[in-house]
Formats: sequence, structure tokens, C-alpha cells
Amino acid sequence: MSEFDEETKQKVLEKLATKPWSTRDLAKVLQMKKKDVDKICKELIAEGRAAYWSSGSTTYVTTKEKLEEMEEKRR
Amino acid sequence: MSDEEFPLLSELKKGPWPSFVKEIEKTAEHKPEMKDLLKQLERSYEDKITYWKHGGIVSVKGYGGGVIGRYSFLAKECPGVAEFHTMRVNQPAGYFYTTEALRKICDIWEEYGSGLTNMHGSTGDIILLGTTTHNLQPCFNELAKAGFDLGGSGSALRTPNACVGPARCEFACIDTLELCYDLTMSYQDELHRPMWPYKFKFKISGCPNDCVASKARADFSIIGTWKDSIKIDQEEVKKYAEQGVDIKARVVNNCPTKCMEWDEEKKELRIDDSNCVRCMHCINVLPKALRPGDERGAIILMGGKAPILEGPVMSWVVVPFIKVEPPFEEIKELAENVFEFWDENGKFRERLSELIERVGMMRFLEAVGIEPDPRQIKEPRTNPFYFWKEEDLKPRTDPWEIWRKAEKEM
Repeated sequence: MSEFDEETKQKVLEKLATKPWSTRDLAKVLQMKKKDVDKICKELIAEGRAAYWSSGSTTYVTTKEKLEEMEEKRR
Repeated sequence: MSDEEFPLLSELKKGPWPSFVKEIEKTAEHKPEMKDLLKQLERSYEDKITYWKHGGIVSVKGYGGGVIGRYSFLAKECPGVAEFHTMRVNQPAGYFYTTEALRKICDIWEEYGSGLTNMHGSTGDIILLGTTTHNLQPCFNELAKAGFDLGGSGSALRTPNACVGPARCEFACIDTLELCYDLTMSYQDELHRPMWPYKFKFKISGCPNDCVASKARADFSIIGTWKDSIKIDQEEVKKYAEQGVDIKARVVNNCPTKCMEWDEEKKELRIDDSNCVRCMHCINVLPKALRPGDERGAIILMGGKAPILEGPVMSWVVVPFIKVEPPFEEIKELAENVFEFWDENGKFRERLSELIERVGMMRFLEAVGIEPDPRQIKEPRTNPFYFWKEEDLKPRTDPWEIWRKAEKEM
């Protein structure tokens, strides 16, 4: 059972759809606690709605669709 | 390879000891591109400069850590090492392998990499030296099939490391292997997906001998210790003395806190455990006679690191004693509080020790929920004027009372 409501998760998901984010930056932009953003991102990843994307040196979180777009660019 | 071709490297083959040049030459016999590695090295020795570029962005799918990009400035001259990436493979706790597992790793590396390895890196990982970007993913897939995972690199949790602990050492006060495995499994995201200000290292030593040098290198050192008294077997002490061990000179005089006494007549060793700092020196010299006590746990120190920003820093005692029992909840709760505080407040490329220096130990302790304790000293006391006696603490006489009394008497 999630400790976050769907509205909050949706708010995070909308931002994730714009580009890959580090959770630290995402927390600043959404004016939320980083710990909460981390938890929400992990839940969204577990649900298959978000995914990790690695630039090689840093890991970001984004939506599955954006991830495919980023990987396509890399190819 | 002829010594005329690589005169400087040939100097490093002389003598009876093993030589990395000889090993690279052997590899070059069946992997001709390794000759380019010798060529680049010779050029580096001539010009007294490295020709490796720093870093680069390479990874395998889903993992941000574990691969260190390495490119050559001499790509045209030495095409065989134009891309020479390193893979860090997570070592088993305590470095225990079957010969079969080692052969498997080597076979994979022969196929997808240079065949050169470095057992082990200073973080503890198995270091596989030199592969191309194209071979990274298939190599990772094969390693995963064989039951091996990549370790940490970049701004992530680095592969937790532990000494051999109770598996091979009589002094181990805690199960370093189980704790190392537990931390590795608990923090897989933190290990594989770099999202922190900089690197973070756990190192676990079973006793204060600290064989993994955790207090000099780890942000979070867990070192086995004991709370009660050192166990003494006076019969064994006598035997050591009879065999010619000069206990006064080798043990008592070398005790850093001078908490030991040697009775030459009775051949008896006495220890004032309240002043013992668990340095292990006496136990190391007389292992059959002295043993760590029975009430065992760990001391947690934080903030050790090698140079980069503010120079090398030795760790600082944060938790003087903690029980180390599965599922290690207390240790993990503390570690997670530290991750959170550092992640929120650390600047880019700021290690934990630098953050503590910047914000102060008081604020750090408050944030991670630890009560201040006199044992959390940064350095041992060196000023002798700090010594005091109980009566020193009594309120001093008001000088005005003395002066008024004197005035009345006059």
C-alpha cells in the first residue's frame, strides 16, 4: 500500500515525462522532500510506469516512453 | 617483444620478482592488440606523462556504475587500446572463490576483454582491465549468467568490502561476511545507480587490526570490538615468557595507554581494561594467551577518505559500540539517515568527511539522530593541562570573600 496518493504520483510522473531527472533536481522543482521523491520514483519504477536511465556516469529517472526515446538517440 | 623496441619497459622485467610487463607480453602473444598497450606505456615512460584520457561515458543497460571508461590519446598510433574500459566486478565477501568460478571469469574476460586482470582493486572489486565499448554489454551478460554482478563506480555506493572475518580469523568479533553480503543486497539501487554527490564506501573489519584499512578509506567503517575485559590465560602467558618472549619490552612497554603491568616474579600479566583502547597489540604478540572479550559488537567510524578535495582524512568515532546481529536493522537505519543527510546537504564531489567538517559534528549528529558522547573525539588529547581531579570541580572560593575577610582583619 502506497503512502502517497495517486495525484502526487501523477505530478511526479508528468515531470518525468519531460526529460530524465535526477531525483535531487526533481525534488527542488516540485518543492518536495527528496526522500519522498525517491520513494515515489521507486514505486513508479516497480509499477512499470517509470525507469532508470543512465548517462553512463549518472543515473536519472524518466518515463518508459522517454527512456526509449533517449536510447534511440544514443543508437 | 624485443628489449630494443621497449628499452624502458625492459628495465621493469629485470630481477626475480613478478613483472607486469612480462604479463602483458605473455598476453600479447595471443592478443596482438596488447602490443599497443606496451607501445603506449613505453611512450608514457619516455615522455613522463600518461596518455589515458580521464573517464568517459560508458555503461551497460540499466546500470550506471561498474564500468570505468578509458580512452587513449594515442588512438591512431595505438589502435588496439583506443578504447580500454575497465569493468569492476563485485567480489564475494571476504574474497572467497572456487577455482571453477575464477576460471569462468577468466574465460569470459579472454573472450570479451584484454585478458588482463587486477585482483583486487582498492575497493575490493575484481578489476577486469581493458575492453571495447562494443564488448561491454555481452561481457556483462556472460558475467551475470555466471552469477557475477558489477560493482560500484561513480557517484554511487561503492562495492561494500569486508575482511575474511570469522571464516578464517580467530580475532573476528563480528560476522563481517554476513554483514557485507546483507549491505550489498540491501543497497542494490544505491550501488548500481549513481545519484549521490560523490562516492560512499562501507568497509567492515572483524577486529581493531582493521585488515581492510577501513578507518583510512571508508566513509562508514564498521570495526569489530568488545566491551568487557581482554581474556587472559596466565598459563599461556608463562609459556611465552619461558620461551623467551620479553613481555615487558614487547608487550607492556608498547601498550599505548600503559594499562598493563608485568610481574616478573610471578610471571603474571595484569591489564587495567578501563584504560585499554583495544589497539590489539598485546593480543597480536601473545595470541594464545590473550583474546578479545566476550561482549562483542562493533564501533562505527565515519568520514575516512583518501585525497582529492580536502586531502586524506582518518575516520571519526560516531558510535562507540553497537551490537551486530542480523538483520542489522540498527546499522542500516543509521546508514540510511547518513545517506539522506549527505544527499540533501552535500555539494557536488563532497565526501562525507568534508560535509561533516563544513557543517560541524554537532549538526551532523543531530541530523542522523545520535546522542553526543565524549568518545566522539576527533583526535586524541595531546595537551597535558586537561588533566583534572575530582576536587578541581568544586566551586572555587569567591576572591571577594578573601579580600573582605582580609580587610576586616586589618
